[in-house]
Amino acid sequence: MNLERLVQVDRRIVYLLIALGTLIPILKPIGFAVSTTPPVENFFAKVESLGGDDAVLVSFDYGPTTAPECDPMAEAVLRHCFTRGIKVVVVALFPLGGVTMAGEALEKIVPQYPDLVEGEDYVFLGYKDGAQATMKQMGVAFSGVFPSDQEGTPLDELPLMTQVLNYANIALVVSIATNVIGEWWANLVNAQFGTPVAVGCTAVSAPKYYAFLDSGQMLGLLGGLKGASEYEQLLIDRYPALEPIYSKAGEYNAMKGMDAQTVDHAIIMLFILYGNGVYFLIRRREKREARLEQ
Amino acid sequence: MSELLGVWLGAFLTLCIFSFLYKDNPFFRFAESLFAGVSLGYYIGIVSTNTLVPNMIRPLTADFSGNAHLLIPLLLGLNLYTRYIPRIAWMARLSLAVYIAYYVGIFMVQKLQGEVVPQVGKTILHPIGGNFTPVDNLIMMVGVLSVLIYFYFSIEHKRAVGVVSRVGIWFLMLGFGAAFGYTVMGRISLLIGRMNYLFIDVVQITSQYL
Amino acid sequence: MFWKLRLPLMLTFIVGLVPIVTFFLTERVWGVAFVRDRVEQYMVIITGFALLLGVVNVVQGNIRKIERRKPGWPFAVSLLLGLFVMGAFGILSAARVGPFQSILTAPDGSDTPFYWMTRHLFNPLQAAMFSLLAFYVASAAFRAFRVRNVEATILLTAAFIVMLGRTPLGEYVFSWLPNGETFLPWVTEWIMAVPNAAAQRGIIIGAALGAAALSLRVILGIERSYLGIREK
Repeated sequence: MNLERLVQVDRRIVYLLIALGTLIPILKPIGFAVSTTPPVENFFAKVESLGGDDAVLVSFDYGPTTAPECDPMAEAVLRHCFTRGIKVVVVALFPLGGVTMAGEALEKIVPQYPDLVEGEDYVFLGYKDGAQATMKQMGVAFSGVFPSDQEGTPLDELPLMTQVLNYANIALVVSIATNVIGEWWANLVNAQFGTPVAVGCTAVSAPKYYAFLDSGQMLGLLGGLKGASEYEQLLIDRYPALEPIYSKAGEYNAMKGMDAQTVDHAIIMLFILYGNGVYFLIRRREKREARLEQ
Repeated sequence: MSELLGVWLGAFLTLCIFSFLYKDNPFFRFAESLFAGVSLGYYIGIVSTNTLVPNMIRPLTADFSGNAHLLIPLLLGLNLYTRYIPRIAWMARLSLAVYIAYYVGIFMVQKLQGEVVPQVGKTILHPIGGNFTPVDNLIMMVGVLSVLIYFYFSIEHKRAVGVVSRVGIWFLMLGFGAAFGYTVMGRISLLIGRMNYLFIDVVQITSQYL
Repeated sequence: MFWKLRLPLMLTFIVGLVPIVTFFLTERVWGVAFVRDRVEQYMVIITGFALLLGVVNVVQGNIRKIERRKPGWPFAVSLLLGLFVMGAFGILSAARVGPFQSILTAPDGSDTPFYWMTRHLFNPLQAAMFSLLAFYVASAAFRAFRVRNVEATILLTAAFIVMLGRTPLGEYVFSWLPNGETFLPWVTEWIMAVPNAAAQRGIIIGAALGAAALSLRVILGIERSYLGIREK
């Protein structure tokens, strides 16, 4: 038997299986249970410890490229804050889509809380260039870089922003991030201003951020879709009234996404096992042939 | 109706991109070039609406004498574009120097005070206590030191140094393996989002109009 | 020589020191807060201009491609069309001309043209382009992941545990043991929090020291390549 041919599977077969592994659980949800981990529990507990007198800065540091992971995180955190009556300041520092992601999230979440008053309960300051310069200046005065909110209302006309002047008035920074901006909140803002930082990041960044988690520069971490699904689960467990939002048919969320994620992981692992099994047989045959030649 | 048109346009463009999985073709090339163009157009819109107008143009037009100092970043910013005029291209160096220097300076502090000090501190100052058991703390310390020694190329990796750097490689492999697992997770999530768009969002919005 | 070399290097030195000096000095020192705030506010604006630098390059290159009818020139047309239409809607929104009062929703709640293009062109194109990586990562894992030596085995084992442990599958694998459903998730979390964090920390410290050294070289004028100056 030609063992080499066994591993030369047409890449399009792999693609097809991955596509089916993603599509079938989306059309026919499995509903796997979600278990939680300490980095997510700590994040949740911190938001849970805050109340109506506190303000949280939520920074949209991601774009459409990682929206399937980051959107559920942002939505869950916003829901958590609004449910608890925490004041929210929304900014965006990621140039390629941050502000429109934030706009879409607010359009979706705010109508679910009819009592919310823009400018009093939350503000949307929009996007700003400058990255670290913006982050540093917000520590001095939000008005230093955000003269107005996204729609052009001057900051001094927004009641919330007359109380929230800089990081000293922010109880927690939440960055939902797709690249280095997430870690800048830890190694710049937390390091220089001492503001507590929690990050929800794309799975690709999560392994690195465990170092910041251990050093205390991040107090919590949502790593990829799994982290987002854990936060959603904690939210539903604590606030059962939110459950219908998450079980609504046709509404995407991380818990539903985890079904397809699990199936695809299984497919990839089976492929790796298969590839290594054949590789093992090839190695054994080569060793046997080498022995025979000797 | 614009919503319906929009989701179908989005679905068509998504399929154009996915067609590359079979092989390169004009539909993919079209979507790819549109991707680049629209992304740059997005930059133009966002930068002008969210930064240049509120932080520079509006203050200057509202109260020129009070905000005349904003002419400094305006001139420095415009000067960046002299690089496209060969005769005076050197002038862009002045703005580039200011721009690069600031971020380099901030980066230096950020890296030393925000990364080296807390990361080294957490490794060596609390061998007992913290979130982990003493054994975990010991593993952490061994891991960090061995990885650093692996990256230290000023001495030959022989004898004891060679052994320690080998341990460093093992730690790195564990880290890279974990990172690979997470990368798979991240990439699959992106596909889940697209599939959800094609087979749930598009269908739902279309059915609203039928 | 002064204008083309010494002045840029002097500017680099002076401006590079601003974030360092203002980090160490308190606000009470005369002028520190003023200089820091002004420079930070200016940098926000200059970064805006810098971000748009690439647009000029792309426009120049693609116009040339169309003029010379180079292969694939019609795609250059679609690129420029996307760029100019989206960019124009953005600029009109910035100027708040007529119905273009925002880059998000219009006062009547409908999408502005910029937002419509964002939702139905920019978002799907960005997301679809990156979602291709899902297929490639699966194919690459199948082709390249082989247990060839100790290092590759460690890598593969860690990847396998994480891929299993970060999904509900990880809970089922050892569920036949007492409390077995928590075992693999616990191992996964331990790998992430201890050996992975140790490796990441080593990389972070090493890379940070390297970046700080490079920063110092730039500020001191030793490293000049960013100005387009090649060392002889």
